[in-house]
Amino acid sequence: DIISTVEFNYSGDLLATGDKGGRVVIFQREQENKSRPHSRGEYNVYSTFQSHEPEFDYLKSLEIEEKINKIRWLPQQNAAHFLLSTNDKTIKLWKISERDKRAEGYNLKDEDGRLRDPFRITALRVPILKPMDLMVEASPRRIFANAHTYHINSISVNSDHETYLSADDLRINLWHLEITDRSFNIVDIKPVNMEELTEVITAAEFHPLQCNVFVYSSSKGTIRLCDMRSSALCDRHSKFFEEPEDPSSRSFFSEIISSISDVKFSHSGRYMMTRDYLSVKVWDLNMESRPVETHQVHEYLRSKLCSLYENDCIFDKFEGCWNGSDSAIMTGSYNNFFRMFDRSTRRDVTLEASRENSKPRASLKPRKVCTGGKRKKDEISVDSLDFNKKILHTAWHPAENIIAVAATNNLYIFQDKVN
Amino acid sequence: MEFKLEAHRIVSISLGKIYNSRVQRGGIKLHKNLLVSLVLRSARQVYLSDPCPGLYLAGPAGSPAVSPPQPGEPAAGPPAGWGEPPPPAARAAWPDAEPRPERLAGSAEPAAPMTGAGDTPRGGETEAAEAAWRCVEGPREAAEGGAGGPAGGSDGFPEGPRGARGPCGCPPGTEERPGPLGACPRLDCCCAPRPAEDEPPAPPAVGSRKRGAAGVGGGPGDCPAPGSSPRKKPRRNSEEQPGGAATAEEEEEEMETGNVANLISIFGSSFSGLLRKSPGGGREEAEGEESGPEAAEPGQICCDKPVLRDINPWSTAIVAF
Repeated sequence: DIISTVEFNYSGDLLATGDKGGRVVIFQREQENKSRPHSRGEYNVYSTFQSHEPEFDYLKSLEIEEKINKIRWLPQQNAAHFLLSTNDKTIKLWKISERDKRAEGYNLKDEDGRLRDPFRITALRVPILKPMDLMVEASPRRIFANAHTYHINSISVNSDHETYLSADDLRINLWHLEITDRSFNIVDIKPVNMEELTEVITAAEFHPLQCNVFVYSSSKGTIRLCDMRSSALCDRHSKFFEEPEDPSSRSFFSEIISSISDVKFSHSGRYMMTRDYLSVKVWDLNMESRPVETHQVHEYLRSKLCSLYENDCIFDKFEGCWNGSDSAIMTGSYNNFFRMFDRSTRRDVTLEASRENSKPRASLKPRKVCTGGKRKKDEISVDSLDFNKKILHTAWHPAENIIAVAATNNLYIFQDKVN
Repeated sequence: MEFKLEAHRIVSISLGKIYNSRVQRGGIKLHKNLLVSLVLRSARQVYLSDPCPGLYLAGPAGSPAVSPPQPGEPAAGPPAGWGEPPPPAARAAWPDAEPRPERLAGSAEPAAPMTGAGDTPRGGETEAAEAAWRCVEGPREAAEGGAGGPAGGSDGFPEGPRGARGPCGCPPGTEERPGPLGACPRLDCCCAPRPAEDEPPAPPAVGSRKRGAAGVGGGPGDCPAPGSSPRKKPRRNSEEQPGGAATAEEEEEEMETGNVANLISIFGSSFSGLLRKSPGGGREEAEGEESGPEAAEPGQICCDKPVLRDINPWSTAIVAF
């Protein structure tokens, strides 16, 4: 099924993917094998479970898709792993735990589970734990439902590890992980008169270090930073980030391409990255007037906006991610291409996630899109790009140079070549 | 001129998207529909501001949703028949008939939020459309006086006393969707009803098919004569209209309810006879973009540039009278 979200956990040992069918598949990194020192730990399937099912809202005659929109891991606090997964309407907290021991020697029941007749028990014994084949179980521990009228687009766990936020088109709610029947609404941009609606919330995230700060991006290309200490309802932002529009590049589709599809804080918390249709921007939280960096992802598409509008590609929501040291940013494009920008060297590279064009363990060859004039060998012309092969979701290991790239229904994992 | 064509195309594509959004799984996506409506507004503004008299004849038909034929409408100002101002912009444009909702309830589209939805508050999305719609009145009114007036009476809509009269002096057409230009049996008649065909070709045909599928089929009320349908004030669902792609939903609902009926078919009729949906093969490059007809999206006007260019001589002739 089509992968709809990809997320590493805090240690990077686990990689979770959600798909359009409501399933979550978790991969675990194998421990390094001394006998094969050249191959670093590979990721293998660890657990698979059905997180969400399609539902039908009878009151509104609406079908609720089971597609997983986002997965966010909780920091690990004990042997079990916890993650939040959400579809359009409901967020679920899942516990993924391992079971590798089994108790044997019960007094009241046989080995096969049948109850023993108490009168026949003549002696008591203490059950002992015996090893068994590893079993990974996923169980829903909390279900946070009925808090969103519009489609949920983001969830973000707070650095306090107790609360998290969920954002839909018009509202952001704050939850406590333990409490499912209540949530606090902290942002509400729904106008009294819906006819006056001009923008919607497209993404939201908590600051990685300051538990009172979060940001949310809008369809108008703006980002608002809010401080929950200032008021209970954060309709008034503390900071407002917007880059003035360049009037010379105005077109019918200016508004669409300026809509921000993703916002992510850097690990340091000093910067944030926003992704709009054609570019990735890095903002310094201390400067609201304009981004500190702008990286073009696929500027050659600017002249094709009308066609992309017709085939709906212009509405694709690309995500972006930081590497562990915040020195690089990655985001996806079309034709199974993805782009990496090195902030320090100001270099960028285009790579392709495709089985046909790269052998396992072989280095990825940089790709180039020819934008006009003579097409060099190995270059691809804009018109030959396959717009059905889009990479919307990517993730970067929190510490190492390992990346996960979702290409439609395939997951690619790339890592730095070990010398 | 080029901009106008492009704008017209974008308008029709946008409407097609809005129309399709109601049958998409998961309900109407507010964000996407908001963006589409913004594009719609921009395109309409360009379309209406581009000074190209020849196209005004085709134009208004292209900007048809704006004025649902309302025989009884007052001549001046935004057709009162449109109901009240702003919010109902879209509503005004597509007044719905009483029986529709019930019929819709029985419709086969499970995902369409029309039934339970009641009506959705429109967003600024509509406001855009609305502003755009309103603009149409400007040129039309301005032009009314002169024979050379583009939109004069040539928009083809039986606007009632005013518009339809126009330069050619024809009485307001009685047809629901009078075709402009090509539809006129006489070159010099700007508002005569459509020629042979009762229904415009391809795109509109698709449109009407859609209508039928949506449960509009059957019954006399399918396409009530414009203006004859009772104007129902959509119930405002105060809240919680999920994916309330306000405009979209409302528009679609009301489109389905007949009267001005299928916006898309109207758009299609604007170039009736002159446009055809060329099957895939007719790709043309325009300004570096692929403007060729692509796969069927109802309401998507696939026009060949040469065909559109031919409109001009006709319109000039018509205007002259």
